[in-house]
Amino acid sequence: MDVLPNEEEQMVKNLAREFLEAECPPRLARDMEKDDLGYPPELWKQLADLGWLGISLPERYGGQGLPLTYLGLITEELGRAIAPVPFHSTMVAALTIAAAGSDDQKQDLLPRAGRGDLVLTWAFSEENPRLLPETIQCQAVEDGDNFILSGTKMFVDNFVAAEKCLVACRTAPASDAGAGISLLLVDAGSTGVSQIPLTTLAKDKQSKVNFNSVRVPKANLVGELHQGWPVAQQMLDRGTALLCAQMVGAARKDAEMGIDYAKNRVAFGRPIAGFQSIQHICADMILWVDGAQLLTYEALWKMDQGLPASMEVSQAKSFCNDKCEAVVRSSQVLHGGMGFMMEFDLHLWYRRVTAWTMRLGTSFEHRSRIARGLLDQPGHVRLGMNLEVPA
Amino acid sequence: MDFAYTPEQETLRDNVRTFIQENVTDEVRQEIEDLGIRRRGPKVRELYAKLGERGWVGISWPREYGGQDGSRIDQYIVEEEFARAGITVGGAGSGAPAILAAGTEEQKKYYLPGLINGEISFALGFTEPQAGADLASLQCRAVRDGDEYVINGQKMFTTAAHYASHIYLMARTDPEAPKHRGISIFLIPMDTERITVRALWTIQNEPQAPAGTTYGDARTNEVFFEDVRVPASCLLGEENTGWYVGAMGLNLDRVGASRYLISVQRDEDIVNYVKENDLGGMNLAEDSSVRDRIAELWTEAQVCRLMTMRSMSLVEKGGNFTYEGSAEKVFAPEHGVRTTETIAQILGPYAQLLNGSEDAVEEGVFAHNLMGSFQSGINHGSTQVMRDQIARRGLGMPRT
Ligand SMILES: Cc1cc2nc3c(=O)[nH]c(=O)nc-3n(C[C@H](O)[C@H](O)[C@H](O)COP(=O)(O)OP(=O)(O)OC[C@H]3O[C@@H](n4cnc5c(N)ncnc54)[C@H](O)[C@@H]3O)c2cc1C
Ligand SMILES: Cc1cc2nc3c(=O)[nH]c(=O)nc-3n(C[C@H](O)[C@H](O)[C@H](O)COP(=O)(O)OP(=O)(O)OC[C@H]3O[C@@H](n4cnc5c(N)ncnc54)[C@H](O)[C@@H]3O)c2cc1C
Repeated sequence: MDVLPNEEEQMVKNLAREFLEAECPPRLARDMEKDDLGYPPELWKQLADLGWLGISLPERYGGQGLPLTYLGLITEELGRAIAPVPFHSTMVAALTIAAAGSDDQKQDLLPRAGRGDLVLTWAFSEENPRLLPETIQCQAVEDGDNFILSGTKMFVDNFVAAEKCLVACRTAPASDAGAGISLLLVDAGSTGVSQIPLTTLAKDKQSKVNFNSVRVPKANLVGELHQGWPVAQQMLDRGTALLCAQMVGAARKDAEMGIDYAKNRVAFGRPIAGFQSIQHICADMILWVDGAQLLTYEALWKMDQGLPASMEVSQAKSFCNDKCEAVVRSSQVLHGGMGFMMEFDLHLWYRRVTAWTMRLGTSFEHRSRIARGLLDQPGHVRLGMNLEVPA
Repeated sequence: MDFAYTPEQETLRDNVRTFIQENVTDEVRQEIEDLGIRRRGPKVRELYAKLGERGWVGISWPREYGGQDGSRIDQYIVEEEFARAGITVGGAGSGAPAILAAGTEEQKKYYLPGLINGEISFALGFTEPQAGADLASLQCRAVRDGDEYVINGQKMFTTAAHYASHIYLMARTDPEAPKHRGISIFLIPMDTERITVRALWTIQNEPQAPAGTTYGDARTNEVFFEDVRVPASCLLGEENTGWYVGAMGLNLDRVGASRYLISVQRDEDIVNYVKENDLGGMNLAEDSSVRDRIAELWTEAQVCRLMTMRSMSLVEKGGNFTYEGSAEKVFAPEHGVRTTETIAQILGPYAQLLNGSEDAVEEGVFAHNLMGSFQSGINHGSTQVMRDQIARRGLGMPRT
């Protein structure tokens, strides 16, 4: 039992922070909000050269095969720097291919992803944005060596930058045999694919993507036909845990900016950091980020160990949603009127963290999963025991 | 990171559970109920002797004083299992961390084995009528007179003073020095002449709170010292360093199994209750508002657990607390209050029924918790003072 990063983990984290402090100033995040692609390819290449993209991909396919916790720590630092790179979406898709793809798919895609030559994304949410199989209406029907995919996906991250998109679609009606979901890897440039950019709070790159009778070769099926829901669920859980790490990193940096500001801002004849009511806001910010971080690390660690982690993921995300939001809002309050000004950087963090609270599961959705784990199966509960959200 | 216990630790936990099943019998429980856990009758003494034989008390203390040189996490495991069975093993208020850090060889050899076999227990004599959160302003006076100290003053809210063997007393030895630098700690037998104890009854009295209630103590005390003479060997650490000696103990006192459990046990209770009971046919486990709130509380309880584990991890690595103990001491008690108050809204009027009442739920523990849970945010460093410490020690903010 050691809930703190060990020396090696801490070293990876520190190196990531040093690099990003030098190479990824807030100006970059600001500039990329207006950029068509949404990320600077040079920085992306640098991350690949540092080995970050392959850190938790299998060694057989050019990765470093390090535990998911390492990827989590790097994601946390990218969040801290609000680095405008398609890291999260690429990793979520790549790790899913690594977990469920065929050998050919892995051989073909993972080394490229690790080298920074392949930006990926994934698409689950539709008009009903709940992360449940019954919301999936995108349909793929078999036609010889192809599937024909039709439907609309919402909130697809970095679609404009991605070469390929892992799409959850319906290939069969839900039945006792399963949810009837399959995962298809679709070339973003295929005939029949179109996207409409969404204007978002974070000013990031999200798209509404339409698939109009798109031909997808059967070789692009990831995992088994009709049996994609458990794989998708793993993908969502992994993506959620990584997003939590990103939120924790960003929220802590945001809290530190608030604390520094309070130490320097003078009102009523002294730094406002000298007022107890300000100090207590700051203490709460740190408590909340610490809690969010501990929950997130536990979720990542359990997932890496191959242990059930659905409860831990939902605990982390519901807490991150509520508390990271409270942190960045509190920091706005500490900054008085300045935090509201475009020229001041604080809002870059505030808008992102706030937007991330709505992505990959709201607090209500995650708490509803936790409640299922606690209440919908027999037996006494005890804190510290292993619990799982029932299927 | 590693969020699992080792296989050896899992075995230890199993052994402790088996021990509790076999040895914490109905008779033992009856004695605890009659006397209160820290006030030991013959059966509980026997139980402690067995615990001592197994090396389960003070696991992390040095072997030469009866400990095992073991890990703090092993000790935590034992403490948690016993705390869940309503039995205090080491943990909060033992006085041991400060004795280990500052005691003379003689004091360590006398007190630590006594704490292990249960023959010695301390009442904590910190608070005074005019010194609570601002403990360093305490006025109880100790004056050196040859080989003795003469003590005059009053202590307040001194829980356990009516049955503890000793008092761990903070008194002023230099009234001229700045307030933190004129304090000393004394370890004094309670049967010393001219110490008098007067009962202060809490709002948990009549009816008595059931076992496991957060701050369910029916009684605390005032303790008066009138020209009490004690040998100078009662002094713990150097004269006038008492504030710092005490701090060593207090920091460790704010963390650990019993502190954690008093804030989270109701979370488990309410989940298990709504799973297994209905209220006149109403199934609370299916109520979507109840489900949402329970999931939220459960998540917070996990944060309490992980913050406790963080403290253990820090201690285990020999690291220093800067603000982590204070963080835990804010989050956990405030969580306990949120849970307690939410349960009132989940169970409605049933949550007002006290121990012994017709139709009381779980012996009235939820009702009694409403009278006690807020206390854990006041004792041992109030949440306000803890937040000050986080800001100042953890975040480098100036004094107000
Ligand atoms: C959109 C907008 C429109 C505005 N329009 C106008 C306008 O038309 N005319 C105009 O004159 N002004 C205007 N203002 C300024 C506004 O009134 C100030 O922002 C406000 O008075 C706060 O001052 P400040 O931003 O300097 O924050 P500060 O005074 O620096 O306060 C920073 C933080 O410290 C806290 N704080 C300060 N003192 C204490 C204390 N003693 N104890 C505890 N906490 C303390 C504050 O509550 C705040 O959270 C506007 C501001 C905005 C954002
Ligand atoms: C059941 C029970 C058992 C106890 N057992 C013991 C025991 O065994 N031994 C012992 O020594 N003591 C014991 N205590 C005393 C306990 O530690 C004190 O109650 C506690 O230290 C607070 O002191 P006080 O009650 O005098 O409150 P006060 O110090 O008067 O505080 C009143 C309020 O003011 C707030 N406050 C104080 N200073 C500040 C500040 N600087 N900024 C903001 N807010 C502030 C406090 O947080 C609190 O909310 C016990 C108390 C109870 C109720």
